[in-house]
Amino acid sequence: MLATALAVAVAGCGGPASTPGPARPPARVVSLAPSVTEIVFALGAGSRVVGVCGQCNHPPAAEKVTRVGGYLSPSVEAVIAARPDLVAVVPSPGNREGVRAIERAGVRVLVVQDRTLADLWASIRSLSDALALGDAGARLVEDLQHGLDAVRARVAGLPRRRVLLVVGHKPLVVAGGGTLQDELLTIAGGDNVAADVGQSWPQLSLEMVVARAPDVIVDTAMGTEAGGQSLFGSLDTVPAVREGRVVTVPADTLYRAGPRVVEAATALAHAIHPDIGPPSG
Amino acid sequence: MRAPYLTARRLTATLAALALGLVATLAVTLLIGPSHASLGTALGDPSTPDAVILFRTRLPRLLLAAVVGGSLSAAGTALQGLLGNPLACPHVLGVSAGAALAGVLALIAGADPVSPLVPAAAFLGALGTIGAVSFGARAGGRTAPHAVLLIGVVCNAIAAAGIMLVNAIVSYAQAQGVLFWIMGSLSTQSYAVVGAAALYASVGLVWLLRYSQDLNLLAAGEEGAFQLGVDVERVRRMVFLAASLLVGAAVSVSGMIAFVGLIVPHLLRLILGPDHRLLLPASFLGGAAFLVWADTLARVALGPAELPVGVVTALLGGPFFVFLLRRDLRRGMA
Repeated sequence: MLATALAVAVAGCGGPASTPGPARPPARVVSLAPSVTEIVFALGAGSRVVGVCGQCNHPPAAEKVTRVGGYLSPSVEAVIAARPDLVAVVPSPGNREGVRAIERAGVRVLVVQDRTLADLWASIRSLSDALALGDAGARLVEDLQHGLDAVRARVAGLPRRRVLLVVGHKPLVVAGGGTLQDELLTIAGGDNVAADVGQSWPQLSLEMVVARAPDVIVDTAMGTEAGGQSLFGSLDTVPAVREGRVVTVPADTLYRAGPRVVEAATALAHAIHPDIGPPSG
Repeated sequence: MRAPYLTARRLTATLAALALGLVATLAVTLLIGPSHASLGTALGDPSTPDAVILFRTRLPRLLLAAVVGGSLSAAGTALQGLLGNPLACPHVLGVSAGAALAGVLALIAGADPVSPLVPAAAFLGALGTIGAVSFGARAGGRTAPHAVLLIGVVCNAIAAAGIMLVNAIVSYAQAQGVLFWIMGSLSTQSYAVVGAAALYASVGLVWLLRYSQDLNLLAAGEEGAFQLGVDVERVRRMVFLAASLLVGAAVSVSGMIAFVGLIVPHLLRLILGPDHRLLLPASFLGGAAFLVWADTLARVALGPAELPVGVVTALLGGPFFVFLLRRDLRRGMA
């Protein structure tokens, strides 16, 4: 509730008073983040999207929409040229000035966050409200939460495993605590061995992998599986290495606070507990 | 010249002392790290986590730091001597950036950061840049030292712009990988990589040492060196090639680590005097110890997480660079 109120407040202070938000629902939407694009399409409002960022590649229909610059560097001109009545954005240092310029041009801007699951629920609700979609947002949130509960239920009886989630190889960058990925790991029956390092995306010395001795290493770094194998291959006191549980999971769904979090959690559950059966429903 | 005349005894004694210092550095830093590992346990049983931490992750990293630091520092010494300019170093001349750009292109083309493709590409990038710099500065069969420095700076800007261009085009996740790679890191390397880098380094260093006396004569002025029988152009070509071998190998395994090739040569020149027969091997040993300590700081400064080593060397090296410039300026005024 509070998050929704906040998002509406932020949206309200965007444009001049001449744009009465609720009276006339936005018909031309520009999304400046991949997660926002996925949410708007999942809410069934994909046909209203008239502009997306360069990194918005899902769902396939979004790839046909006009590009208006990069996620971190939107083109103000391209955004305004798309004649939007709503621009939805995830804040970053790179796009702050551009988003201010869009606001000054009189376009309503909706700011949402995408760092955690709580952010995701709030984003879905405020996008749904801003687009006047009735209870579509609440229903999507409920669906996704049920999906995540189902993943939780499937790993409920199984032993929790200590997991390291690798983001980059050289240097070794991993997912720390407080991230969406940490939350998804926990739901999927894992305990993040880097949760206490004190940064969201810490760079670790290779020896920390030996010291923390994870049961499973989930490797989402780009490149080949062989890269991960040769990186960790000689660390044979690490259970994940000794027992052959260095697994790759595609990074695509895992790094977006969007409607595919259930897919991501399912993929993680299978990586952490390969013995659970194929996905149901 | 304040330093005493170079005798065989002084050469041996100085180098032995520096080598001893490097060995002591390696021994001490082996025991410093973000995780706790006991040397006694490790030596008693090679199948313990302690042994894996000390001998399969920490030691190869220390050795790599030593090889990279030594290579960059020796290359810096040679380039400063050759060009008669205290600001010459692999970084300023664009050789590091050229190597990094080629490495980044290989990364973007899909090569895994730990595969041998990236080092190979970076090495070619270093060779290409030094080729462009020395070719660009040649006119009428002669190379103008000031033009080498200027063209090096231009090459550096072009390569840096190329890296930014690549970064602007690729995906967010790839861009982050590129950024980390460029900042410089000695992490996650195997003994095989360390061995390969060491091989390149020793070839480059021995090659440079063959020209140390010529570099001394060049310091007295190009005309004088020529009259003393130095084939100036040939020396220049050979030193460029040897230096690019050292830099290419170093960048290819560690990304761009700034200022090692600047700080260490200058410090040692102040202490040991300008004789390249001593200065070249000394700067290799000194640069090796310097980077091992800088990397140790990078490994432990933030607790379990680590800093990019390039951050440590640049934060130490940047102010030192300014200090050198100021000192030169004041001397020029006096």
